[in-house]
Amino acid sequence: MGNTLLDVRNLRTEFVTQDGVVHAVNGVSFVIEEGETLGLVGESGSGKSVSMLTVMRLIPIPPGRIPSGEVIFQGQDLLKLSAEEMRQIRGNKIAMVFQDPMTSLNPVLTIGTQITEALELHLGMTKDKARKRAVELLKMVNIPEAERRLDDYPHQFSGGMRQRVMIAMGLSCSPQLLIADEPTTALDVTIQAQITDIVKRLKRELGMAIIWITHDLGVIAGLADRINVMYSGFIVETAPNREMFANPLHPYTVGLLGSIPRLDEGKRERLTPIEGLPPDLVNMPVGCPFYDRCSFRTQKCLEENPPLMSVGVKHWSACWNYEAVRERRDEILHRTTRDVAPA
Amino acid sequence: MAAYVVRRLLWLPVLLILISLVTFALGIYGPGDPVQVLMGLHTRPEIVDQVRKEYGFDQPFVIQYLNYVSNALRGNFGYSVVKFPGQSVSDLLAKRFPVTFQLNLVALAWSLPLGIALGIFSALKRKSWFDVFIRALVILGISLPVIGLQPVLTFAMARKHEFGTFSIGPFLPVGGWKGMFAPEVILPAFILGLGVLAVFTRQTRAAMIEVMTSDFIRTARAKGLKEWMVVGRHALRNALIPLVTIIGFTIAGLFAGSFIVEQFYGIPGVGSLAFDALTSREYYIIMAFTLIAATVYVLINLLIDILYAFVDPRIRYQ
Repeated sequence: MGNTLLDVRNLRTEFVTQDGVVHAVNGVSFVIEEGETLGLVGESGSGKSVSMLTVMRLIPIPPGRIPSGEVIFQGQDLLKLSAEEMRQIRGNKIAMVFQDPMTSLNPVLTIGTQITEALELHLGMTKDKARKRAVELLKMVNIPEAERRLDDYPHQFSGGMRQRVMIAMGLSCSPQLLIADEPTTALDVTIQAQITDIVKRLKRELGMAIIWITHDLGVIAGLADRINVMYSGFIVETAPNREMFANPLHPYTVGLLGSIPRLDEGKRERLTPIEGLPPDLVNMPVGCPFYDRCSFRTQKCLEENPPLMSVGVKHWSACWNYEAVRERRDEILHRTTRDVAPA
Repeated sequence: MAAYVVRRLLWLPVLLILISLVTFALGIYGPGDPVQVLMGLHTRPEIVDQVRKEYGFDQPFVIQYLNYVSNALRGNFGYSVVKFPGQSVSDLLAKRFPVTFQLNLVALAWSLPLGIALGIFSALKRKSWFDVFIRALVILGISLPVIGLQPVLTFAMARKHEFGTFSIGPFLPVGGWKGMFAPEVILPAFILGLGVLAVFTRQTRAAMIEVMTSDFIRTARAKGLKEWMVVGRHALRNALIPLVTIIGFTIAGLFAGSFIVEQFYGIPGVGSLAFDALTSREYYIIMAFTLIAATVYVLINLLIDILYAFVDPRIRYQ
């Protein structure tokens, strides 16, 4: 750790549609170090997937466009590479695992074909060698009878198994960065736990950096070193994992935490939902995008969109009123001072 | 799989019995009969009745039908009465079926691959001028009637075009049949294939556009595959699945199409035979033609179901 692997600066992604320009990602900047795990949290439409697809240059252009930004990976700006140079990085140095394992694997090709094709292409392996490596990979993600199952088709696997195949595929060329786009969302809870355990183990063994996209703070809690919270195309808060849970300083993060059910709660407390809807991405407000739904709002929030401000050690929040959040958040989170005591 | 094929084939005789009953009934209860056509309207009724008796056309429906079936089971499908007197129906068909088969084969051979290729390019270059051009051609191909196209092509291809002292043509023969490798085949096969080309271009385009937006195509791109691998290996294989379905209809449609085209170009195939048989109410020939068409249809559909299992691994027949 310590060396910067990926440095994203002021990244914007827009889509030109019949209803106007959709501002999906609005100037996102963050850094990920080698071997680090970054959690990217936010609700649907917050720009977390689109920002990562932009990094991978998998956004269809048109209708998509990238009006500004730099994506510096190992010293080169991915947005300036030719299509062919980018293709050689995809699946090789940066791999991506997608949300729905039911539709993300090709139904008419065997698992073996789908794993080995990248190995043959990027690493120049022979068919035999690629097959041996594919067996290793399937064993690594705990697929029983790996050898025999290479010739099976996706529909012969369960959802959890397919996601493990996807992960094996993502890891096949030993990437430095694995982007996991809600890899556990489509799976039931026990399978979710299995998948996160596998990823944790592989990260320890292989040492790649991971960006884990999710809308579920619970999943990320046991996994990430650092968490970015996204809202309508902005990063609104970023902090190390523990700090984020112990000391959330953006009303949206507090809202997310308040809507998680807690098993250790003595009384049956009601969950606190975040009322309202995120803003229309075509007509973005001038001020803070969270204004309409915020219980800490002031006049300033309406007039000026807050930038990320340093609020603690390695902790930034895009809220003018973070001090008020610090004072009043506990009533939303139903927690006592005992809960916040440092572990 | 083998059990499935056998089970499907066992249905064939049942189907043939039903179809033959309906066709036979239409032939007998429909107005006019071959004897009437043969003798003309001005022959004395007694003589017509007598000839009818000779051919057995005076028998009740059930007897005629059972006679037909028992003969057919022994390989005798009756004789022509009017157009080819004395020739057995099986001989006639045996001579003519290969001609139609070859004509359709040539029509498919150029139109099917070209249609699929145009569909793929049209889908990949969606909304480009190429795509717009192809789509316009498709609409033209589907809506142009053979009756309108045939004289235009004949005019363009069979005439000597003179421009002052300079002249070109004729380019192609516009009739007759000298086998599937002779130039006579070009015009009829072109006209026959045009509809197939249009249908396959359109269907391939639609299937490819849909497949290209699938999640697994995004996965293939995320793996850093080359574009030809994404299209050829990942997309096309999936786009073929819906295409397999329409191949059946298409081939059936070709047979119907050869009815007219064979007539226009004087091609001695089953199409023109059936056309003659219909106009002269020779229902033995019509019967045989219908039964063969039904059998071909059933076999093609069976073949397509088998093909499915190969194209789509999710389908396995128990």
